Amino acid sequence: MNPIRDAWQSVFRRDPLSTDKGKSELVFLNVWLHIHPAKVKKENLKVKHTFYLGFITFFLFIILVTTGVALMFYYRPHPPQAYQDMKDLQFVVYLGSFLRNMHRWSAHGMVICVFLHMCRVFYTGSYKRPRQFNWVIGVVLFLLTLGLSFTGYLLPWDQLAFWAITVGTNIGSYAPLVGTRIRELLLGGHTVGEAALLRFYVLHVAVLPAVVTLLTMVHFWRVRKDGGLSRPVWKLKPETSTQLVTIGAPEPVAALVAVTASKEKTYGLMEVVTGKPIFETVGIEEEEDTVFSYPYAFFREGIALLVTVATVMAVSLFWKAPLEQLANPAKTPNPAKAPWYFLGLQELVSHSALLGGVVIPGLIVAVLLAIPYIDPNPSRRPADRKWAIRAFTLFVVVNIVLIVIGTLFRGPGWALVPPWVHIVGAE
Amino acid sequence: MERRLPQFFFALSLIVLALMLGAVWQAASPAWKTYQQEFHRLEAAGEPNAAAKADVLNADLVIRQDLLPGLQRVDRCTTCHLGAEDPTMKNAPLPFTFHANLGPHVPAKFGCTVCHGGQGLATDKQNAHGMVPFWQEPLLPTNYIRASCGRCHKEGEVPGVPELTEGRRLFETQGCRGCHKLNGVGGTIGPDLTEEGAIRRFPEWLEKHFLDPNTVSRNSPMPNFHFTKEQARALTFYMLSLTSEQMGSYYSSVRLIPSVGYGRELFVEKNCIACHSIGGIGAKGGPDLLGIGKQHSSGWLDEQLVNPQTIYPGSIMPAYDLETNARKAILIFMASATAEDAQAILSQRTKPLTPRDAAIEAGKQSFARFGCVGCHGLELQGGVPNPNSQGGEVPSLLHASADYTEDEVIKIIQNGKVPPVENAKGPAAPLYMPPWKGVLTDEDIHRIADYLWSLQKKKDSW
Repeated sequence: MNPIRDAWQSVFRRDPLSTDKGKSELVFLNVWLHIHPAKVKKENLKVKHTFYLGFITFFLFIILVTTGVALMFYYRPHPPQAYQDMKDLQFVVYLGSFLRNMHRWSAHGMVICVFLHMCRVFYTGSYKRPRQFNWVIGVVLFLLTLGLSFTGYLLPWDQLAFWAITVGTNIGSYAPLVGTRIRELLLGGHTVGEAALLRFYVLHVAVLPAVVTLLTMVHFWRVRKDGGLSRPVWKLKPETSTQLVTIGAPEPVAALVAVTASKEKTYGLMEVVTGKPIFETVGIEEEEDTVFSYPYAFFREGIALLVTVATVMAVSLFWKAPLEQLANPAKTPNPAKAPWYFLGLQELVSHSALLGGVVIPGLIVAVLLAIPYIDPNPSRRPADRKWAIRAFTLFVVVNIVLIVIGTLFRGPGWALVPPWVHIVGAE
Repeated sequence: MERRLPQFFFALSLIVLALMLGAVWQAASPAWKTYQQEFHRLEAAGEPNAAAKADVLNADLVIRQDLLPGLQRVDRCTTCHLGAEDPTMKNAPLPFTFHANLGPHVPAKFGCTVCHGGQGLATDKQNAHGMVPFWQEPLLPTNYIRASCGRCHKEGEVPGVPELTEGRRLFETQGCRGCHKLNGVGGTIGPDLTEEGAIRRFPEWLEKHFLDPNTVSRNSPMPNFHFTKEQARALTFYMLSLTSEQMGSYYSSVRLIPSVGYGRELFVEKNCIACHSIGGIGAKGGPDLLGIGKQHSSGWLDEQLVNPQTIYPGSIMPAYDLETNARKAILIFMASATAEDAQAILSQRTKPLTPRDAAIEAGKQSFARFGCVGCHGLELQGGVPNPNSQGGEVPSLLHASADYTEDEVIKIIQNGKVPPVENAKGPAAPLYMPPWKGVLTDEDIHRIADYLWSLQKKKDSW
């Protein structure tokens, strides 16, 4: 009887590593190796395949949750204390400024990375069968990320926050019939006020993070069940590519195997299996390409984590998160701008409220969600899907151009003003 | 590459650790700690023995703050300005210098920023002095600080700050309200001035602007009023004092400063002379007030003003609803009042006016108070330049009755009027008649018209 060893083994439930059983249990009972396959394809680990954007996005989310919880200790979601708490974070809280900078820059980083991740997945055609629905979950996660960033934008309760949310929620209210209702529901009133601050706070710290966490778990799990990351496009051979993507498709010609039910047994529904497995299987010829997840995948992911953390920390050491004057509903800045990722929308709205505020963003979201179902091309090879790539590139470029125009080229009265021209008295 | 992964991982870990230490170092070495250490050394130099010196030098470094819920402020200025309340620091260098002449305005009750401006919450020099973007109240230059008295002392005189009283008088008589709103009353041509002292604290700019608006704000529609330097300074002081900031009850209860002048004003306003006399001059309904301060304690006299019945049941003296400091002011005035004062007050008492004259007088008051004189002139002579309007200047009102009926004039005051332009291609004239419907009551407007017509008749009779 050794109580210490018993206690140790109650936590780490494997035999000593000196035994073969212990060695195998180290792998089988490891939660990380549960999320990862034991072996991964070597080529899938290449930086140029994924740029680790999904991981970076997830790591930024972890940073955001960590710093966010720390910031919550110092924050009261009520005007004008909310603003005073920002000042206290800046001036008296130990590391307060640094934490807020990290939170702010990670938030912007996450919006950017989740978008880039989506681009990567599109360009590599990784949304195709059997991963269609995971793309849909990904798009929803992208929208939730925007929601998280948008709700967090209001919390400092300064002029920047107040007017960005006022403009942002106004864009939403252009939707016919329900627009103003949704805005009222979100703000808890007709204008941005203390009710809006509380609602945004609850959404920001409880509702949205919970939903994002849940969907992220599903997102990861589906990647795992679909056989890990998709194959890099350069590994796709023209003749096998079609075959590869049809795996998991219902086989219309395959005859169903007739199972004679035994009278002595009761069958659960889950035991009735027909057809092929829905995940990609590792072919014999590919077996040599695989490596063990530990250490090859783990170290790479660890490096991605460290690079992400180091970058965010370095940026936060030298660049301060913005904080303007206390929110003043009576003093509208000119121009009042939405958060930068909505400035493309605001740019469209400035030309046509209904078209830019409702029709186009509605269509964009609908098309993004539907991409795996409206793209009839089964091939993932770039050479086979030139038009899809061109169309998506156009969408990305237009998006970026509109955001750049809205951010840098719009001055007082939403007039076209280049960033190098300073308008006297504009502030 | 594969073999280097652990090395790479290790190197990156070191970088993250270094960044963490960097952040900790950044957070642990704020400038205010340096100031406090310097102050401790300064204090230690004055200590006689080594033990006391060591105690002072080893004192904790802490952020000091004055919590001022009544002023909705938290001032951390004394974190660095450590000698502000220590008379022995009279000759100490900044930021440790003793603040002389604080009087009742102790930092614990008033903080610093309510007078000096700056950002009380901040703990580094640049931010605390408000010399940063997005802070609207930078530190006021020394020679303008007295203007801040007017932020609380909005009525009556402030001893030592005649500029405020003069500035307020100029504002109400020179017709500023014709173009500018203050506390909801005034025109719309110029900016609202209600928060002027809270949002735009640039005294030099304001002063230049009053001397000649065009030098600092090109093509400003504001006419040049040719103020003297003293008048410009007085108006600047008044502007700096304008804020709609809410003060707690403690602060608003003492905002009136008792003075002889203010006491006299109240003495006239409350018509004390109707019952009392001073040195035999005045009415005999109540006791003579000469030397009353010597006969009774101030507490007794104060009670007489609040509730005379408790002292003399059945007294005919009415109870007055006056603030503490207003009562103090009356007592101060009575302590120094002489028969000559009584004589002067009696001779100033206005004779009752006929209803018609009262209406005209009221119209004249409104005409001045709502700023009509700003453009149309104190003598209604007009003449303020208004480029590209017909005639090039604001019209005189001396001949209003010749060109318009009274109803037409009332319509113009109610709805405003944009002057016809001289050159149709040029820009619109900067000055126009704002609509006064929501601001002035119909009665006010009728009386102003009456006033204009009364002047007309005088001219005719001449």
